[in-house]
Amino acid sequence: MTQINYANLLEANYLMQKVGEEFHWLCISRTVQASKLFPVSPYIIFSYINSFYRLPPILRKIETVMSAEEIADRSRNMGIKIQNPHMGSCMPAFYLLGREYLLSLGMIRPQDAVEDLLYVMDFWKRYQLSWHRNNGHMTNEEFGHRSQFLPDRKVEVFSSDMYECEPGDELQNAAHEFMAVASQYGFLVSCESRISLTNSGPYRIDENHEMIVRDFMDLAECSLPWLDDIATDVPYNNLTIAISVKDCHFNLMDDWGSFESEPEFTADKLAGIALYTSDPLSEGYIPVGMNSREELIATFKELSEVIKDATNKLWLRMAGWSRDQMLDAGALVYFAVIKDLAHVAGVYDVEDWFVIDPRAEKFRPLLNDEYGNAVLGELVGLLSLPTQQRSPHTMSKHTDTPNTMMTPVPYSILAGDEYVASVGPLQKGESHLDAKIDRYRTTRGVLTLAEYNQLAREYVPEVCTDKYRFLCETWLKFNADTELANELYKLDQHHSRKLKGRGIVKEADK
Amino acid sequence: MPKLYVDDDQYSAQPQLLVVEAVHASVRDLVRKRYSESGLAWNEFVFAKQDELITKEDFESIEQQFIDLGYKCDWSAAVSVQEKPELYKPMEGMGDDLSQFTFKDPDAPIGEATAEGKQQRGIGDNVVQYPNNIIGTARYVRSAQIVLDYMENGVPPNTIALIDDSGGTLTAPILDQFAAVICAGGTVRSHLGILTREYGVPCLMNSKLDGIYDGDTVEIEVTVPAKMANTADTTEEPAATIWRIND
Repeated sequence: MTQINYANLLEANYLMQKVGEEFHWLCISRTVQASKLFPVSPYIIFSYINSFYRLPPILRKIETVMSAEEIADRSRNMGIKIQNPHMGSCMPAFYLLGREYLLSLGMIRPQDAVEDLLYVMDFWKRYQLSWHRNNGHMTNEEFGHRSQFLPDRKVEVFSSDMYECEPGDELQNAAHEFMAVASQYGFLVSCESRISLTNSGPYRIDENHEMIVRDFMDLAECSLPWLDDIATDVPYNNLTIAISVKDCHFNLMDDWGSFESEPEFTADKLAGIALYTSDPLSEGYIPVGMNSREELIATFKELSEVIKDATNKLWLRMAGWSRDQMLDAGALVYFAVIKDLAHVAGVYDVEDWFVIDPRAEKFRPLLNDEYGNAVLGELVGLLSLPTQQRSPHTMSKHTDTPNTMMTPVPYSILAGDEYVASVGPLQKGESHLDAKIDRYRTTRGVLTLAEYNQLAREYVPEVCTDKYRFLCETWLKFNADTELANELYKLDQHHSRKLKGRGIVKEADK
Repeated sequence: MPKLYVDDDQYSAQPQLLVVEAVHASVRDLVRKRYSESGLAWNEFVFAKQDELITKEDFESIEQQFIDLGYKCDWSAAVSVQEKPELYKPMEGMGDDLSQFTFKDPDAPIGEATAEGKQQRGIGDNVVQYPNNIIGTARYVRSAQIVLDYMENGVPPNTIALIDDSGGTLTAPILDQFAAVICAGGTVRSHLGILTREYGVPCLMNSKLDGIYDGDTVEIEVTVPAKMANTADTTEEPAATIWRIND
């Protein structure tokens, strides 16, 4: 039960507008993605509808175990799939666009499922504020398209541990090839969407160098059922690459984790590199192949080979899928973009995340390619559906047109206008995909889901224990000479090849 | 027939695209009908009963109306038309007829042919600036069958792939083997743009071209500056030229 009052309605409408404006910009600066392989637009619409019906009860279930802000505290210490593209943009936008689509069909009113909507927006706000607590924003857009969520001690470890490289040397070549191969695999794993890879930063290293952090997620056998027996040999589910770049300024890091730079970032500007893995069961980032430069080169080469092999196998599997299977996989990879919330909380259930809700399923016959492309274009690009039109005096943020992406909740419900609180409880869904094999690659080995959930429920990363959780950057600024500050730095330096055991050093003494 | 809440809309306008207008009008009619038949207040109807009273079969009927009218939808994924040919326009330039196929963009600038047989046949947005233009053999990569063939037999050397869509999945197993890519859709920030940049494969996105056939020798101007996309303005003219070279 979510309380409805003027203050939280004002806030929800503000947050909806914020999500809509940035999502609009992200869409119109790209165009609709299309593929001869996947029916992309139809599956995107399908995912929006699924999100509208399923996300509110699933998020409530997660918060019976762990709050949104605590999950964000934990995920800030890992390179997993609940970063800014997933939680900052996709989760609220997919839910709200499902609502907007149903509004346009006349199937709901703006005041229907209002308690769900207030809850989802509040969940989003709390998560985002916590995730971004080190930079004081809610989204990358608010920060001028910048994403600096890591604390000083993690950035210090990443930048210290990097191995230097130069144009054309073996490390740079191996790392560059790996990033290309992993990016390609990521798009395929996520059925033509970009949600398995993201970038964050930039962080200043020195006058000539900036660092960005690149995450590649859901690489191994994990929640995605189509990776079963395909990604068996991929040894890590998530890989994080910290790179230092010389004479190149990253002037844009958008809410989908894409960057732009001046001048254009090319491989020859790569000056340093470090590789890590992490997941909900790891104590932060664990180095991969970082014992020596030679080991790192060999690791990149081995990973590239394993991932190329998985790419070919996965492509062959997907090319043989029926349209219904493609539609389900695409819709579910989008809908389940924040499934790692449930992994962190230890309440993940395949039946929650990898099924199409029966209330969404009935739309399947409508979602042909032409209608899918057309309605998606109107919904997120043109903003031309009837419900999206506003007073002719309105000038929208990016196109000066009289429309907005999202329809606000009418305040008249506070004056007695009737409304409906919720879409109701979670319903049993179905999928055309093969059933998930009970095998999950983690940093604690290959686990069954029951084992994974139990370990997640029992585990509290040390930096997230009560002793350290609220020792923020402001506290550290004024308490750097305390033993507690020293302990905190040592926790993040535990795996560092250069800083292990060093603790905090006052900036003036560096 | 009762009105829906969204029927009284001060600022309403029809959807811009006919197919959206047609589908949405049909669905709204369906909702009005079922709501009326239910005899319920909207609060009781919207979530509690609508799910029972508006069914998948109802939506299948709407799709069937399109088929009965003889309407043929545009298709984007090959699997769509392969599984339901009665709903979609036929595939062209995907199989044996590929040799006669060419992208035909009405906005493609066509230049005068030089004495050496070099003629502008299009333009595109450059993803990354390189020191030299790329010359190679144009090969359309439009279907999973072609990709499968290249996986089995290898991509011919010096292939400049002509690709319809901005996605990165169709060509996933072979993208790194192309000498260059010309994509008829997307922007420099699309998935294919990102991937070619990562692989170091020269690429033009959002290309408008006409009269380039499978096997033609083409040159693409990747020496021009990369198109920046940090504004929402995607209407600027692309700057990179695409030439066909008659052997």
